[in-house]
Amino acid sequence: MVEVRGLHVRFGEVEAVAGVDLKAYAGYSTALLGRNGAGKSTTMRVLAGVVPPTEGEVRVAGVDVRRDPLAIKRRVGYCPDVGGLVPRATPWEHVQLAARMRRIPDWQARARELLERFELGTVAHRVTTGFSHGMGRRLSVVLAALHEPDVLLLDEPFDGVDPIGVEATLDVIADARARGACVLVSTHLRELAVEACSSVAVLRGGSRVATLTARDMAGEEGARAYRALLD
Amino acid sequence: MPTVLSSTELPRVLAAERRAVADLGHLLRFRAATLSRRRVLLLGGFFVGITLAAIIVPAYLPGAGQLGPGRARDLLTLLPTAFAGFQLLSLIAGVASGGGRELVSREQLVAYPVSPTTDHLGALLLAPLNAAWLVQAWTLLGAASFGLGPDRFLAGSVGVLLWIAVATARAQAVAWAVEGVRRLRHGRIAVRLVAVAAGLLAAWLQLSGRLAPLLDHLPTRWFVLGLVDGVSGRWALTLLVGTAMLVTATTVGAIPAHLAARLAAREEHDAESMPHPGRPMPRTDRAMVVRIDRASVWRSVPIRRGLLVLSIGPGVVALAGALTWSQLILLPGLVASGGALLFAVNGWCLDGRGALWRESLPVEPRVVFVARVWVCAEFLAVASLITLAIGCLRAGLPDARELTAAVAAFAVVLVQVVAAAMRWSQARPYPVDLRSARATPAPPLAMIGYSGRLAASTTVTSLIFSTLARVGAPEVTVPVAVVMGMWSWSRLRRTGQEWLDPRVRARVVTTF
Repeated sequence: MVEVRGLHVRFGEVEAVAGVDLKAYAGYSTALLGRNGAGKSTTMRVLAGVVPPTEGEVRVAGVDVRRDPLAIKRRVGYCPDVGGLVPRATPWEHVQLAARMRRIPDWQARARELLERFELGTVAHRVTTGFSHGMGRRLSVVLAALHEPDVLLLDEPFDGVDPIGVEATLDVIADARARGACVLVSTHLRELAVEACSSVAVLRGGSRVATLTARDMAGEEGARAYRALLD
Repeated sequence: MPTVLSSTELPRVLAAERRAVADLGHLLRFRAATLSRRRVLLLGGFFVGITLAAIIVPAYLPGAGQLGPGRARDLLTLLPTAFAGFQLLSLIAGVASGGGRELVSREQLVAYPVSPTTDHLGALLLAPLNAAWLVQAWTLLGAASFGLGPDRFLAGSVGVLLWIAVATARAQAVAWAVEGVRRLRHGRIAVRLVAVAAGLLAAWLQLSGRLAPLLDHLPTRWFVLGLVDGVSGRWALTLLVGTAMLVTATTVGAIPAHLAARLAAREEHDAESMPHPGRPMPRTDRAMVVRIDRASVWRSVPIRRGLLVLSIGPGVVALAGALTWSQLILLPGLVASGGALLFAVNGWCLDGRGALWRESLPVEPRVVFVARVWVCAEFLAVASLITLAIGCLRAGLPDARELTAAVAAFAVVLVQVVAAAMRWSQARPYPVDLRSARATPAPPLAMIGYSGRLAASTTVTSLIFSTLARVGAPEVTVPVAVVMGMWSWSRLRRTGQEWLDPRVRARVVTTF
């Protein structure tokens, strides 16, 4: 479902991603783990069709990101790592924009259900400028999951989110997996990555250094293994 | 309650103020570190050069400093009014921007103990980085030099520069006070009522013929009289009084700045907590994108406030001055330039950090670009039309030549400004949120560059159509408008083509 070979992304002199290879499959969730600046978010942006790759081959849902980024955007749901919200638009307007662009039929019931599940129903008509970081993260997950995408990309979805929000996000990931979607979760929180995903790819210095099962990354042993991979 | 500082408090307050002044230096160095030295030198050299030219050149023009009746004496007679006009302009700019511009944005400084005194002094330093302020200041200097002539202009210019500083510092102090009142319960209504009352008073003075006698007896006359005789005792006294006024206004201005900082920014908070009920789904993608973009513009406090000042201010001036149609034609360019400086020169910042998510939506980039152009254009058009609507009340019905020139000028400057703003938005996006009433869409030096370029291009365009309104014919005006409009339109199209490149969009959306 997601296949990345030799991905390089450069911004001027800076090489944000330096040769990532990655495979993620439908019906499974894969975590991208790594320290800050490891290239997780840039890889996610490429998969979402937002940032074009400098080099390498990237196929999402069978589509080459270079050839048809619009087709990829139709198949993908993306929660960006920072903000991800238009400051002076309300959650309902965000949902409406996504529903319009993605041609989602009968979107209102699903939107209400998701906003309630993430405890955003009472602020659905307030602009997002005044939202806390956690509220913003929760709404970003709602927007990514609204159209039940084939590929769900969640970049730091647990960052600053309260336990109820974390639980709702884990439910969204489980639902997506159950209906056969490919889920990629980028995070630096190992324990949540293990809980949410079946496999874990560890990135370091812009490239992938290991892929393990979630079980290998669990508990004290997993923590030690992860620490060793980061150094 | 004690109202005087105790002997133990005074040293503490003085130490805090010294620290605030030192912090200003730190913030300036922080700002300067983000700028290229070459650019600062170029811009600085440019502005110092124009200022020196505005002081020296008029003094040596034919007729400068003539003692008998003539243009030089007329200019000196009008100087007290011009001084007062500069004071009013500085005041309006300060009040509209909620106490003056931010040296470093509130969001960036939130974790640091920056005193309101530092903020006040920073805003004061930024006041000159404004095209309207600069043009007025240069005009004052030039008029005074021409009026005084080669023998007296140097001494006079020192006084004019001092007055410019005094007026700016006083305006800043009043602006903080108004901002403080605005943050009180019912404060916004009070400020609006005072503004309306001041407008009505000015209109009454004008209509009843009392304005001219009042302008002849303005207190600024005392200041101007102290400058006309060159270096003398009276001149020294004027400088002494001016310096005292400057020091007092700068120092006292910190007090309302502190008081305002203790109060919550009600207007911004209200804008953020106000509910916006859902509306039916639009029929097209473009209509949906336009709706979101339009909301981003009209729900922003600094943009709304700026629109009111920009559109009504010049309109009222035109009304009071009973401008003719050939003069009114100059206004749309002025207003459109000012409107673009509220957000359009960094138009993609409306999406803030939502830009990344929006870019992940399956929508044609062309639709997004066209929607942004539409929203910028309609905002600038509304502002210009309000000005024209107010200004034309005393201009009478235009004849065919004037009407053609007015419509042409309006359309051409609109395309010209939108094309420039979209080009700059794409080339140099800045991560700003336009949340605070004091926010600007780009850093101060970038803003001065944008305002200078916009002012120059729209003034030239407006002058061409103003001339055509007087001496041209519609058969000439229309082709001129088509050629000028097509030139700007083609530049806008080129920017739109560039937007289709995913690398260009990625650079823009990852900036925020």
